[in-house]
Amino acid sequence: MSRWHVAFLAACAGLTTAHAAVDPGVAGAPRTEFVAPAAGTYQLQRIQSTPDALLLDSSGKAQRLARLLHGKITLLTFFYTYCADPLGCPFVRVTLSDLRARILQQASLAAQVRFVTVSLDPGSDTPSQLSAYAAQIGVDPRFEWRFLTARSVGTLLPILDDFGQDVSVETDATGHPTRTLHHMLKVFLIDPHGTVREIYSLAFLQPDVMFNDLQTLAMESARAPPMLAQGAQPP
Amino acid sequence: MHDRRVSAVAIACACASLSVAVVARADETCLSPYTSNLIKGQEDFVHVWTLGVEGLGDGSDKLVTIDANPHSNTYGKVIHSVSVGGRGEAHHMGFTDDRKYLWAGGLDDSKIYVFDVGTTPAKPKLVRTITDLTEKTGYVGPHTFYALPGRLVIGNLSNARDNGGVTGLAVYNNKGTFVAKYDMPTSKVGGVQGDGYGYDIAINPAKNVMLTSSFAGRQNYMRAMGEVVKDPEAMKHFGSTMVLWNLKTMQPTQVFNVPGAPLEIRWALAPGQNWAVSATALTSKIWLVKQDAGGQWQAKDVATIGDPAKIPLPVDISISADAKGLWVNTFMDGTTHYFDLTDPEHPKETYHLHTGAQVNMVSQSWDGKRVYITSSLLSLWDKGPPDNEQFLRAFNWDGHALTPSFAVDFTKEKLGRPHHMKFTAKAAAQALRVTTGDPQG
Repeated sequence: MSRWHVAFLAACAGLTTAHAAVDPGVAGAPRTEFVAPAAGTYQLQRIQSTPDALLLDSSGKAQRLARLLHGKITLLTFFYTYCADPLGCPFVRVTLSDLRARILQQASLAAQVRFVTVSLDPGSDTPSQLSAYAAQIGVDPRFEWRFLTARSVGTLLPILDDFGQDVSVETDATGHPTRTLHHMLKVFLIDPHGTVREIYSLAFLQPDVMFNDLQTLAMESARAPPMLAQGAQPP
Repeated sequence: MHDRRVSAVAIACACASLSVAVVARADETCLSPYTSNLIKGQEDFVHVWTLGVEGLGDGSDKLVTIDANPHSNTYGKVIHSVSVGGRGEAHHMGFTDDRKYLWAGGLDDSKIYVFDVGTTPAKPKLVRTITDLTEKTGYVGPHTFYALPGRLVIGNLSNARDNGGVTGLAVYNNKGTFVAKYDMPTSKVGGVQGDGYGYDIAINPAKNVMLTSSFAGRQNYMRAMGEVVKDPEAMKHFGSTMVLWNLKTMQPTQVFNVPGAPLEIRWALAPGQNWAVSATALTSKIWLVKQDAGGQWQAKDVATIGDPAKIPLPVDISISADAKGLWVNTFMDGTTHYFDLTDPEHPKETYHLHTGAQVNMVSQSWDGKRVYITSSLLSLWDKGPPDNEQFLRAFNWDGHALTPSFAVDFTKEKLGRPHHMKFTAKAAAQALRVTTGDPQG
């Protein structure tokens, strides 16, 4: 993560100074006070399979989610284009942007990795909205970064349920929905066979670890026998 | 078609006030750091995983829910109970990372019960029973349920081969599917012999480390305590190690000699802290595991709990959110101790109170103002009459003294032996949902 990004996020979160009075219950930027284990020296667990659904990409074209979760190593996260929590979607956006820059330094790795971001708000995040958001991040033709939205909440909910991605709407004292949504920040690392191999919540969004995890899966794919590789084809 | 709307929501709101659920860092102060929705104010409910007692009520293990909100009409009362239809030595439980489900284990039958506590916290529902732990791992006695994103690490106590203490860790995803197993080390790691025993789990994500502790196998914990202590051979079969693991690789990196069955582990997770504590049941010590100036992890005993010669049997501990204080229950003398942890190298007992004839678990609220105690240790280790009190007692803590607030007599209520406690609060948010106006995609 760039120095500017860290400074910006820390300032947003009021985290510029750690001191004894800091409430340990307040969410903070993840700390990495260790050297990330070298890529390929460990195995990532096979945590769960991934679902399928028909979604829309930023050009309005229908896309099967399963096709975008196979054949490459995928980092998937759920977001909102207008999310402003400094330790929420914007934090993931910065983390992924920096990670993309790092991945692009290895062309062979860049060809094996994609990012998929799925909106949690089909009502607001239309394809055109996603397109504008992608432009803000900066499209790079050397790297596949997909932005998806659902046609409806009804399409989205089973996906969230399958991934275990909670989302809730804050209510006021009278029990009515407010304008605040809660979701637990998660980024899913998915192997070319569509299996979730790691889940990064806020405390886990450690760029060195994520990069080494990507490399670990790339090394695993390189070792995979042909039969297994066939299984990586999109359904 | 276009007139149909997505309701709730609020999801259509254009405001930018989305927020990520806070991350719990430390019963409330002892949860996995990956657990969301930390309750920093008043907890509404205390859920108690309770051992069934033959002839008492339905005789089944059950999850008992008590109203803990002083502003409620049913404050201090049992408001709900879910029986699981048998007795399997109910013991500990833990939340999934999203805090929607509570996993509870049976030390004798190795079953794992999954309760939905997220939909209606006042009325938990049993939604799944996992019965393949031993088949998948060879382990028995699921004890600690520790959340990782999307999955739980389960610390076990024993194995099916000989019911001894050699065991391991099992990982299940939140859907209840087995993911992986990791044996506790039985060889030398870092020059120290591993004993293979297991008990608690505690993770420090910033350090990429996981600590585990060690207790005893089924042949000991499912045998009357009076028999075990009189059997010199049986007394050899208690854990005497703690293990430091590389969390990412799930490989043990260091074994520490910690004699006398180190039980619960609590990390100080405030920024800049690099230490954890545990208490040994048989030797009555507080142990500190801390990084030294060179970054090497060290373990040493830093305080004595009560009079070890009398074997007070320290059991559960609960660290304050700021890691400045530690509650310690000693089972045999029924005492609740408070240690000042300001200097973790030199904890000092500053307060104690006799809280029952036998006391085991202790849990505190995030703000430290409320302390809850239950009585049961194990069905065959609890005291006989007249000391077999079975209760949950709630206290207020003003920093100087515990003041009783309410109590529930689990025998009088025909519930059983209360053991582990977890808190929930009424939902401050509503689920994202589809209403009749939502178009189908």
